[in-house]
Amino acid sequence: MPIHKPGRRLMRNVGLAFVRKKVSGGGHRSVSASLNLTSMIDYLVTVVIFLLMSFSASGEIPTNKTITLPSAENTLDMVTAPMVAINGSQILVNDHPVGSTRAVEEAGRVMPRIDELFNALKTLKEDWKKINPDKKEFPGIVILQVDKEVPALVVKSVFQTSASAGYPNISFMVGKIAEKKE
Amino acid sequence: MGGVSVDSGGGGRRSVDSEINMVPMIDLLMCLICFLLITAVWSTMARINADAQVPGPPDPNKPVEEQPPPPMMHVTIQEEKFIISWRKGNAVESTLDVPRKPVTIGEGKRAQVRFPDLAEKIIAEWNAKGAHRDPSDKKLDQAVLHCDNKTPYKEIIAVIDAIYQAKREFPGSNGKKYPAMNVTFSMHAN
Repeated sequence: MPIHKPGRRLMRNVGLAFVRKKVSGGGHRSVSASLNLTSMIDYLVTVVIFLLMSFSASGEIPTNKTITLPSAENTLDMVTAPMVAINGSQILVNDHPVGSTRAVEEAGRVMPRIDELFNALKTLKEDWKKINPDKKEFPGIVILQVDKEVPALVVKSVFQTSASAGYPNISFMVGKIAEKKE
Repeated sequence: MGGVSVDSGGGGRRSVDSEINMVPMIDLLMCLICFLLITAVWSTMARINADAQVPGPPDPNKPVEEQPPPPMMHVTIQEEKFIISWRKGNAVESTLDVPRKPVTIGEGKRAQVRFPDLAEKIIAEWNAKGAHRDPSDKKLDQAVLHCDNKTPYKEIIAVIDAIYQAKREFPGSNGKKYPAMNVTFSMHAN
């Protein structure tokens, strides 16, 4: 299709005075009203700034629904590490059950090694070494998600088992409370 | 649409004000809001660190040097009180009793326990007797937590949080203060 030089255009070259008159109201109120966008843009910019401030690049951390975590002020940011969840009845490693909380409580003393938990953590350590053959040092971090009513006996047993499985850096997952300004 | 137009141009000349098309800007803002809302993380989870103090593999090439044990702060949780003691190895250097006054924040399932009195005493004790207080010192002081096997986990976290209230600057921290002590557990029940 050949290209033609554009001809006269409506409203610019062809006045269409009656349309202009009609649109502008013709002495009456105009039929088209222009919206003031300033407040809308202000609002959008404010929302964008708020969302950018609360943006987290580390992503969401999976939390066990059966666990109520305690909160603390002096905390560190989360890291990627194996997650050991302890609720009132079970001990789970990355959501797979590896032991019973009640069995530890019934033992009545700190268990230096909970076998299933120990084996699961050892396997994860071996997997890490296979995935990262170029990295020499294993970070040895494990994160414990513990329900706030679980007794110290269970926490100590899991703590000691994790340490003996090669995870000396043990972190407790908590809710974050804003620090008081000095 | 959009922009500010106050003059249509005098004397048949081109207008001095030109209107900026706001549509692409609003589209961009809307897309940005959608992206940020979809990827937003609303949970505020964090971690509190503890150290299991497992020694590394011994180096057979290096002779083992006998070193005096560093002073450690031991915090014992008892029913009525806390005991803060400084020990060098098995020798107890000083002891301080702090009455147990829990402060509960919130209600029901969301209730949190705090020990502000304990935190105050720990800060004062560390300021007086801590071995690594100098901002150029990279090492942390060690705190050992003793508790009964029945102590609920929320109280353990409250005590660890109180221990971490003692803060200091570290080399390269640019004025920011970090917890001055590292916490570990004593595996023996009181």
